[in-house]
Amino acid sequence: MGHIRLEVVRKTYGPLEVLKGIDLSIEKGEFVVFVGPSGCGKSTLLRQISGLDRPSSGRIEIDGRDVTDVGAADRGLAMVFQSYALYPHMTVRDNLAFGLQNNRMPKAEIASRIAEAARMLEIGHLMTRRPGQLSGGQRQRVAIGRAVVRDPTAFLLDEPLSNLDAELRVSMRAELAALHARLKTTMIYVTHDQVEAMTLADRIVVLRDGAIEQVATPMELFNRPANRFVAGFIGAPRMNFLDVADAAALAPGQAMPGAAASVGVRPQNLRPGDGEAAMTVDLVEALGTETVLHGRLASGSRVIVAHAGQMAARRGDVLAVAAEAGKLHFFDAADRRVEA
Amino acid sequence: MGAVLAAPAGLLAHLFDAPMRLWQRIAGRGGMIAFFLAPNMAIFGLFVIVPLGLNVAYALSGGTALFLPQRSYVGAANFERLLTCGDHMDPATCRDDLFWIAVWNTVRFVGLQVVVLVGVAMVTALILNGKIRARGFWRAVFFFPVLLSPVVVGLIWKWIFQRQGLLNWVMVELGMDPVNWLTDRTWAFLFSVGISVWAHAGFYALILLAGLQAIPRDIYEAAEMDRTSPGRAFRRITLPLLWPNLLVVIVLALIRAVQVFDEVYVLTGGGPGTSTMYLTQYIYETGFASSLRNPGVAAAASLLMGGVLVVLTIAQLGLTRWRDRQ
Repeated sequence: MGHIRLEVVRKTYGPLEVLKGIDLSIEKGEFVVFVGPSGCGKSTLLRQISGLDRPSSGRIEIDGRDVTDVGAADRGLAMVFQSYALYPHMTVRDNLAFGLQNNRMPKAEIASRIAEAARMLEIGHLMTRRPGQLSGGQRQRVAIGRAVVRDPTAFLLDEPLSNLDAELRVSMRAELAALHARLKTTMIYVTHDQVEAMTLADRIVVLRDGAIEQVATPMELFNRPANRFVAGFIGAPRMNFLDVADAAALAPGQAMPGAAASVGVRPQNLRPGDGEAAMTVDLVEALGTETVLHGRLASGSRVIVAHAGQMAARRGDVLAVAAEAGKLHFFDAADRRVEA
Repeated sequence: MGAVLAAPAGLLAHLFDAPMRLWQRIAGRGGMIAFFLAPNMAIFGLFVIVPLGLNVAYALSGGTALFLPQRSYVGAANFERLLTCGDHMDPATCRDDLFWIAVWNTVRFVGLQVVVLVGVAMVTALILNGKIRARGFWRAVFFFPVLLSPVVVGLIWKWIFQRQGLLNWVMVELGMDPVNWLTDRTWAFLFSVGISVWAHAGFYALILLAGLQAIPRDIYEAAEMDRTSPGRAFRRITLPLLWPNLLVVIVLALIRAVQVFDEVYVLTGGGPGTSTMYLTQYIYETGFASSLRNPGVAAAASLLMGGVLVVLTIAQLGLTRWRDRQ
């Protein structure tokens, strides 16, 4: 099990409305990522689901049961905190066992669950250590292990990788994906890192100012963003937004919908050295596998071009640039997507 | 504005710069350290080291004369007088029964006061750490008695508990008979403990509150997710994480309880009889107030008490260092 449904969930702190009526259905076994800029309400939303916070109004269901007024202890969920929140005075084994002991689980069952989690997360050799004697990555594994042994209805993960260094983050990301594939338990993951969102999620929930902007699979978000905000938030480097005249210069012959007020084109969909539009290069970022050019069109509009591979370009160069056919995104005056 | 305020300091520093450099060249690095430490060492020496030495000298001398040159050397006789007992548990069998009465009174006082004090401080800290209205106000209320002079504390409670005090007035108004609170041995002892707790609990509550606030909130949230009951969270999470602070509080409270004097002296004068006469009062009265003044015995008793305090202080320092290493 692990089907979670939110109906018009609002959260206010005095006059401040942090969640503005969230409707969301998360299917059993799904890996859903909440993503959005700082202060968009993603962690607050997770806390409403966990039961650590209660919504000001609305309804939360887990497997068909209304849990809106049920405490965190009785929702059957497990949470991995950004700070790990391990009990610092307990050994790793005691950290894992503590929640199970609270449920008065037989000792043999506790030992077997701990052994299984330790094997899965490769933390067997750390059992007698305290959290203070562990590295960041080891602590993270223990925090995940503490959630795993509980065999919860769903895992809630609040920016669990944000305290790790870049290299460790990549490997832990892969391990989390493998863990989900193995356990097939519902996971809700909060992050502001779109790479984590894109690589881990079955579906991504993009939030802004306490409201959902779009819920979709990673590729759908990338290929068919519902509005300018989502289009700008997903994808790196960020999508270029141009006026219709600039877009016409980059993609001559491309039909522009009448309602289009602005046009988006991803840096990867701009080809340097091709077409009739000219771009003056202001900055070259040579990343080895990719060369990112920051520049200006003749109209003065800023534009970023991501060229797969290496290229010889320098600041001040004037390059021809063209957009790939069919790769333009159109938005109306209210920033909503307009189909071509 | 800042520049205007800094100008005199700058001028002063400029004036002293050349002579200090010269002095440093003459005295060297070690000399300069000694130079800057000298004023403090002089004060410390004059008011701590010299009196300590004098105290030892008095403890080894006899007679009622106040000035040391007029006193005779008696060796360990004063200590012998204090420590000689048929049965140390029964002051009546001791050469100096009053000393042992004071010792056992102090032991009883320390035993009860420290337990009650730590308990009250703990409960206060837990309440003040919770989500209560006007938390800042309540913190100030509980800390306020700490700011009062012990004599003021003693006087306030004396006005409440004395025969014609506030408490009896209220009881009479309610139709009850007045009680001689401070002339009853049990009540006097309990009140001496009570006002001492009232006067000091705020300080220890503050230490415990600081410890409670250092426990990250998300640990409690993790415990909540782990289905931990509030009682178990207190036993398994709060107490172990607060233990270092709690140890320091217990040892500090012990040290201060052994030294109890002023507020109780003002409240009961050590009475009724000798039922609230504690060790410091015994030393004070033996050395200065009694008609049979005996500075040598008082000095010996204060050295014995000092020994106990040194042990407790070393324990406290050790515990603080242990806590810092955690």
